[in-house]
Amino acid sequence: MTPAPPIPSMTPRQRVLAALGRRPVDRTPVANPTSIATVELMDLADAPFPDANRKPELMARLAATGYTELGFDSIMPVFTIIQESSALGCKIQWEQKDNWPTVRMHEPIFREPEDIRVPENWMEHPDTECVLEAIRILRREFGGEVAIIGKTMGPWSLCYHCFGVEPFLLMSLDDPEKTRQCLENLKEMTVAFGIAQAEAGADAVTLPDHATGDLVSAEYYGRYLKDLHKEFAERIPIPIILHICGRTVDRMPYIAETGMAAFHYDSKNDPAESMAVVNGRIGLVGNINNPETLFARTPEDVRREVYKNLDAGVNLIAPECAIPLQTSIENLKEIPLAVQDWHREHPRAPVDGETATGQEGGNVRAR
Amino acid sequence: MGLTQDLGRRVELVPIDSQGGDITLALYRQDRDGMPHYRVHTYSRREAAPVRVAFVAGAMGVLGDCEIAGPLLRFPCGAAHLLAARRLFLESSKLASSAAPVRQPLEIFDKKSAGTVVVTALGAGLYQVTGADPARVESIALGLRKLAELDAVRGRSDQAAFPCRTAHDALMGLLLGRALNVRSALREEEMTASRGVLAAPSAQK
Repeated sequence: MTPAPPIPSMTPRQRVLAALGRRPVDRTPVANPTSIATVELMDLADAPFPDANRKPELMARLAATGYTELGFDSIMPVFTIIQESSALGCKIQWEQKDNWPTVRMHEPIFREPEDIRVPENWMEHPDTECVLEAIRILRREFGGEVAIIGKTMGPWSLCYHCFGVEPFLLMSLDDPEKTRQCLENLKEMTVAFGIAQAEAGADAVTLPDHATGDLVSAEYYGRYLKDLHKEFAERIPIPIILHICGRTVDRMPYIAETGMAAFHYDSKNDPAESMAVVNGRIGLVGNINNPETLFARTPEDVRREVYKNLDAGVNLIAPECAIPLQTSIENLKEIPLAVQDWHREHPRAPVDGETATGQEGGNVRAR
Repeated sequence: MGLTQDLGRRVELVPIDSQGGDITLALYRQDRDGMPHYRVHTYSRREAAPVRVAFVAGAMGVLGDCEIAGPLLRFPCGAAHLLAARRLFLESSKLASSAAPVRQPLEIFDKKSAGTVVVTALGAGLYQVTGADPARVESIALGLRKLAELDAVRGRSDQAAFPCRTAHDALMGLLLGRALNVRSALREEEMTASRGVLAAPSAQK
């Protein structure tokens, strides 16, 4: 067999985009579809929560530390999941530096699908405009060097925020038609915000839509969300990384059919099993455990999980979700170090049944 | 070039130092010549931050009778006493920078038994708790063991010993105040640690 030609050294942006397109990469990228902000990085950038979620300069500055300090291949400035919900009129608990802003879901703003009113100028709301401006700042500052990942919330998650988790899930059981109507009424926000972020300079967007294993079944995903997610993949002009927490291996066959670029998956799913299920139809991003490994364990434990993902052929390495704000810097820095070491140790890592040629730092084919 | 440093392993964190303008303080462990050292650090670049770091490190020196060499602290015995070091850091960071840290005595008034509890150094790192209520004495001795990973002494529920077998009177004075209500001390630690961990939608209120 003729060995594959060596892959020339790539910039972080090229690497991430190639991996999202499941094209050859010089090494597996380290990306963060969700936040990697910590309280120590907030100090370093002088950009603490909650202000770093509301002021574009602070948002951009804090996000940039993922690349400049931690060595990730991407910058992701949308730390929370509340920006669109704030623009819709949900009450937000902004919290302090050491805690996440959250939507007060026990004070829902809608009860019925016909209650849904999307303000005409919602993208000019300070909390959504902040995201767009932060992306523009990052694009200006980092040009084409590093991948900038935005975030647009899916309608299922927005329904949790606007109707409350329990009322919305009960509606989905009692009245599938109403449920579909809610999703339809909110889906345009997802598309519009995704497109606006692409125009502002985002290279890809994360799309969290929390059809999580502990709340809804795989059958629900297929029934309510698969087609919507297909539509997002068709209408949003940049790669989409779908994010769903929890055990999701049962719905990965559906997710793999959406046409999205990648699925950001949780540590409750085994990397090898997940790779086998998606079978090259969608990329996987993940899945370093947050609450135990990154937050409470050592760099050696982080390294073990990175290796487990690389051994399975996972396309992009990342924490499984937004990391705890008290996560240590040494644990985060260990992720890119471990990826580089793994590639040095596996210069001829087999990919998709082929054997790649090795150069310094390791060369691999599309993973 | 990045601004983060290789400071060793982070062993404790105060995410919001309310006495220091809400900066984040961390305690890092570094091993030098096979001996564990600790370093108080902040990544804040605010003007007052270095003063605050120096204060907390100095307070740890006084409250725990630690040796200070430049930015590093260590226990004179050369042992790590990791849990004790973390407790020492947390307690020191609660002090205002204007306060003068004072070594705590080896006796304290215990509200629950309405009497004074005394800890006596018996030598070689062994300490004995005495007080009017035997149940409280036992509970406080257990609290000391939990807070600082001290050794139990066979047949003596009123005693605890430092594994290094060296006296640590200052540290014992500091721990005694917390040993009166260990559960509350541990609960406070757990609550601080659990902040900033994102909950799944199903777990959110």
